Amino acid sequence: MNEMDLNRFETLVAAYGASPVRWPEEERAAAEAFARQDPRAAALLSEADSIDALLFAHRVAEPSRTLRAMVIEGAPGKRRLAGRAKLWWSGFALALAGAAGILAGSAATAALEPISANVQMYEHEDVPALDYSAEEAAQ
Amino acid sequence: MSLDDPDGDLVRRVGEGDAHAAEALVARKLPRMTALAQRLLGDRTEAEDVVQEVFLRVWKSAGAWRPGAARFDTWMHRVAFNLCTDRLRKRREVPLPETWDAPDPQPLADAEISAEQQSAAVGRALAALAPRQREAIVLTYYQELPNREAAALMGIGVDALESLLARGRRALKARLEGADE
Repeated sequence: MNEMDLNRFETLVAAYGASPVRWPEEERAAAEAFARQDPRAAALLSEADSIDALLFAHRVAEPSRTLRAMVIEGAPGKRRLAGRAKLWWSGFALALAGAAGILAGSAATAALEPISANVQMYEHEDVPALDYSAEEAAQ
Repeated sequence: MSLDDPDGDLVRRVGEGDAHAAEALVARKLPRMTALAQRLLGDRTEAEDVVQEVFLRVWKSAGAWRPGAARFDTWMHRVAFNLCTDRLRKRREVPLPETWDAPDPQPLADAEISAEQQSAAVGRALAALAPRQREAIVLTYYQELPNREAAALMGIGVDALESLLARGRRALKARLEGADE
């Protein structure tokens, strides 16, 4: 729309305020020309400018560091790193538990069979194998 | 990626698992999304919940993001806007706290007040606006969306948006100056 009259200019300023930056792009040039040429425009712009000033007095606090950290924590790259770290710790914990079990088993065997010098390694079938691909897919 | 989408390249890299790109996207969008949610909801904690949900959806969608009719920023606004309006709808189903929509007892013109007090007064006046007027003002003035995008987000035409903006501005001025609407 390139035609501009007082009625449209008034509607435009009442809705979008006094700054041409916010006026619809397709009407901006015509509205600016109208403002330069029509003496009635000044009063409308002054009124709108006072409301703009009120509006832009409102401030919102910056996001907290905690929120920023929580949001970033969920990001794809970060999640993968966190997932790998978790898997590493899970594997380490399982290995530790397995080793403890073996030691305990050996100690018990040694107590029952103090003469035997052979240390037998048992397979722990009740310890599930780590399925990294499944865990990563679930991340 | 669409050449005219200023976030396109960043989103593509996020989708590829680039942690630095994700941090850059957060730096670019977090303040914007927080401001949107806080102004629509009038509650910091709820706004932060919404923002976290918005970014969860960003992380899930970034890999599949393709340039289309809307820019990525517009898509984020749509997600945040819908989450906020859902919360506002639920809020209307339960009694509102007594402080909600409380009129500003101290009109701005009565005294010289600090920028912080003035901001708080405008915040109360915004919260007291009719929801659709508040949405129109927040999207157009604070989020600086083009009128067609703001209207599309709200599911209305540009004429209706202009009407809401004009009425909202008048109501805001009347409230802040202590005058009758």
